[in-house]
Amino acid sequence: MPHADVVVIGAGLSGLTAATRLAEAGAVVTLVAKGHARTHWGSGGLDIAAPHAARTPADGVARLAALDHPYSYLAPCVAPSVAWMMERLAAAGLPYAGTLDTPIRRVPTAIGGTRRVAIVPQAQSAALRPWGRDEVLVVAGIAGYKDFWPLAIADSLAREAVWHGADRPAAVVGVSVELRGLGDRHNLNAMHLARRFDEGALRADDIAAIARAVERAAEGRPGRVALPAVFGLAAHAETWAALRAQLPLEPFEVPLVPPSVPGIRLWRVLRDRIRAAGGRVQLGEFVHAVRVEDGRVTAVEMEAATRTHAIRTEALVLATGGLSGGGLRATDDGRIVEPVLGLHVEAVEQDAWLVRDGLDPAGHPVEAAGVRADPDLRPLGADHRVSHANVHVVGGLLADQRSIRERCGDGVAIASGWRAARGLASDATRSPIDCEMADSARTEL
Amino acid sequence: MSIADIVREATELPVSRSADECLKCNVCNTVCPVLRVTDKFPGPKYSGPQGQRFRLAHLQPIGGPGSANPPSPDASVDYCSGCGWCTTACPAGVKIAEMNNQARARLREGTRPKLRDWGLGQTDLTGTLGVAFSPIANVAMRNRPLRRAMELAIGVHHKAPVPPFAKRTFHATWKRRQAKAGTGSGKAQPGPDKAIVYFHGCSANYYEPHVAEAAVWVLRRNGFETIVPDQVCCGLPLISNGLYEDARAHACKNAKSLARYAKAGYRIIGTSTSCTHTIKAEYEEMLDMRDEDTRAISAATWDIMEFLLDLHEQGRLDTGFGRLDEDLPYHAPCQLRSHGIGLPALDLFALIPGLRARDMDHDCCGIAGTYGLKREKYDIAMAVGRPLFDKITASGATVAACDSETCRWQIEAATGVRTRHPIEILAESYRAMDRARGTAEPPGA
Ligand SMILES: Cc1cc2nc3c(=O)[nH]c(=O)nc-3n(C[C@H](O)[C@H](O)[C@H](O)COP(=O)(O)OP(=O)(O)OC[C@H]3O[C@@H](n4cnc5c(N)ncnc54)[C@H](O)[C@@H]3O)c2cc1C
Ligand code: SF4
Ligand code: SF4
Repeated sequence: MPHADVVVIGAGLSGLTAATRLAEAGAVVTLVAKGHARTHWGSGGLDIAAPHAARTPADGVARLAALDHPYSYLAPCVAPSVAWMMERLAAAGLPYAGTLDTPIRRVPTAIGGTRRVAIVPQAQSAALRPWGRDEVLVVAGIAGYKDFWPLAIADSLAREAVWHGADRPAAVVGVSVELRGLGDRHNLNAMHLARRFDEGALRADDIAAIARAVERAAEGRPGRVALPAVFGLAAHAETWAALRAQLPLEPFEVPLVPPSVPGIRLWRVLRDRIRAAGGRVQLGEFVHAVRVEDGRVTAVEMEAATRTHAIRTEALVLATGGLSGGGLRATDDGRIVEPVLGLHVEAVEQDAWLVRDGLDPAGHPVEAAGVRADPDLRPLGADHRVSHANVHVVGGLLADQRSIRERCGDGVAIASGWRAARGLASDATRSPIDCEMADSARTEL
Repeated sequence: MSIADIVREATELPVSRSADECLKCNVCNTVCPVLRVTDKFPGPKYSGPQGQRFRLAHLQPIGGPGSANPPSPDASVDYCSGCGWCTTACPAGVKIAEMNNQARARLREGTRPKLRDWGLGQTDLTGTLGVAFSPIANVAMRNRPLRRAMELAIGVHHKAPVPPFAKRTFHATWKRRQAKAGTGSGKAQPGPDKAIVYFHGCSANYYEPHVAEAAVWVLRRNGFETIVPDQVCCGLPLISNGLYEDARAHACKNAKSLARYAKAGYRIIGTSTSCTHTIKAEYEEMLDMRDEDTRAISAATWDIMEFLLDLHEQGRLDTGFGRLDEDLPYHAPCQLRSHGIGLPALDLFALIPGLRARDMDHDCCGIAGTYGLKREKYDIAMAVGRPLFDKITASGATVAACDSETCRWQIEAATGVRTRHPIEILAESYRAMDRARGTAEPPGA
């Protein structure tokens, strides 16, 4: 049976973070997941904390840390872990803009609404700057590409209401750009366009066509251009640099409905980093059982054709996400369970699953369901004691976060994945940039 | 419902019902190699879970009552190559590729199969005739005008990779050798700890007996004699051409011949990842065969690399590998992924001193069994494999490796680089050791 120091289950941001840090610290780490994760349908930005009324991510973290929330013990890890992550992304040619102290601001979405963000990929960052009085926003789409309708988006963004009182462009215009050979294609998706820019053969022509269209639409006014987030995967950096150099106005990418090209860029950087550090990343592996002896996990079993295939391990990072990731499942008789280890789940009774306003600022009650953990992220049983000594629970599976409303999913995923890896890397390989504060936070608890 | 029940439900979700798990996230569309290159196929999300909405009224097993109902909203499902990437990537566990395959079978149901699709499924017939008339057949298959005529008559693309027939089948050679040695008569057969049953399938029997010979040789070196019972084609070419009834007949014949060995504890080892996967999983999953004999042979079947790696993990593999100083581009075939056993060939290559084996990390070579042979799909298949071919050509290597026969033929035809089964590489390394030790067998032994 193959053996690993640590098995990580889940290929979302939390699992990728933990596996990256463990592999870099020299641990033998294998990440298994049944499939892709939120990376492929998120925005590619890092939502650290933007609960209602928070001014900056740091402010958001502080507000959430005061509640029953994973940030109540993870807060000290947020700054070092996010810095750690941004360093790695930048080194791989995928720089991010913003810090924990960047004001949270409203940026346009692909359906002509706005959403609140602070830390985003560089290619999305021009949307964050306050709008000048005379600035026009040109929304430029690609003819034939159905996930980004520039005229409809422009119409919607011209309405004051979608900006919720924030400053906004003086005018919004939409324009659809014809790119060579795309007219007769149906079925065009974001990946097709991203690969077209990667291949590069038509890149210069395409960019020139977009530049001409934007020039005409802007009519000499200053301003910015909103574009669908499709500008390259592997060759994103070159494509974006060429685009910035050619366009008459400063561009920004708008993340789209899934599949998310910015999220896939993020996934690729982390996957490659884990592999380069000697770790393994295996998709299509459904973990259906875990062997436990004396409260310790000893092996992870995956579904395979005819015979189970297992990995022996010293420790487990459970990064299976919440209800959406498959880390939690709801049963017909009204319970929410954690199917891999049968961990104790904190959740509201079924009667409370239905609420009048699913998007209430307080969050949906079911969103908070999950596994409670100690500050070392080890799972707690119904008796509030650690139930499995060598298991670390990270990311969306942690209880007491309402990530869609609090917009804390990425921050919790990064901070917890990073923290769990630190606890697991042996003393000899422990990395020097550890967060001492996390330890003091623990002794206080 | 217990946790075990939930896990079982998620693991054993019938193919047709797994559509209910679809989140509509589009992740499958980002990984589909066919959608990447053509508009003729609407992509896994539409052909799989969306199309399934229209088929769910007809849940009866194929061939059962009610199955004459309208099969599929759209015949484009025929453009799915069956590579299985969508199923691997889906975050929700939807069995998309399997769903497409069943939908295709329904399309074919009740209509007379195209001569070509029927013919491509009759690998034993083609093989037997081909080997019998190999001098003529091999010349004919290299003859351009004849191949063009064949394309017109039966729709097999004139450039599609078709390997030469062997002069004699492996099975016949083996029988003859056994007769000479006087084995089989009287002598006691070694037990299941000293012998394995070999499933050669069609490729090693009719086209590549050298692969079978290498397997027998490597197994003997590791203390296992080989038993070669009567057998027929596993049936996969019939399954992938939607001819389930004929495939069932094949499965029954194999079960009849092999089950007594399986029940006596012998392992059934194959050198074709696609045959072994068919026996392991598709007899039950696609053909709905659940009888005792079929189950016994499914449970006993191993891919040869999986088997050797297992020996190694038990410390029983002869690791006296000789030095092979070369670059070896390796392509992991799609069928291997469906086994869920990782990449055992790469793990074994790592034991060979000097060998620089490198995973080409490309989704699919395009051929997908018989898909790329077809007139209307040849160009799609070549476009799907193009990045892989380019990488292999750019590597400058003179030999490449791949576990699956049709992929080897496709890669070899497209790149001109000799492409071998991993077992041949292991055999070569053992021989290098023998030469170094001065214990090499005389040629021809
Ligand atoms: C539609 C939607 C929108 C959201 N929007 C936001 C937002 O705007 N802002 C925000 O902050 N948060 C948002 N969230 C929450 C956010 O997705 C999560 O908090 C966070 O991304 C979770 O990351 P993760 O790594 O923990 O899990 P995930 O990204 O969910 O990954 C789970 C991984 O575990 C794997 N897995 C699960 N079970 C098994 C098993 N048995 N065997 C093997 N592998 C398994 C899955 O395949 C997957 O790879 C949103 C969630 C959803 C569903
Ligand atoms: S099996 Fe392959 S070709 Fe068919 S839909 Fe899935 S990914 Fe596409
Ligand atoms: S990847 Fe799975 S869940 Fe997502 S759209 Fe495809 S089938 Fe549906």
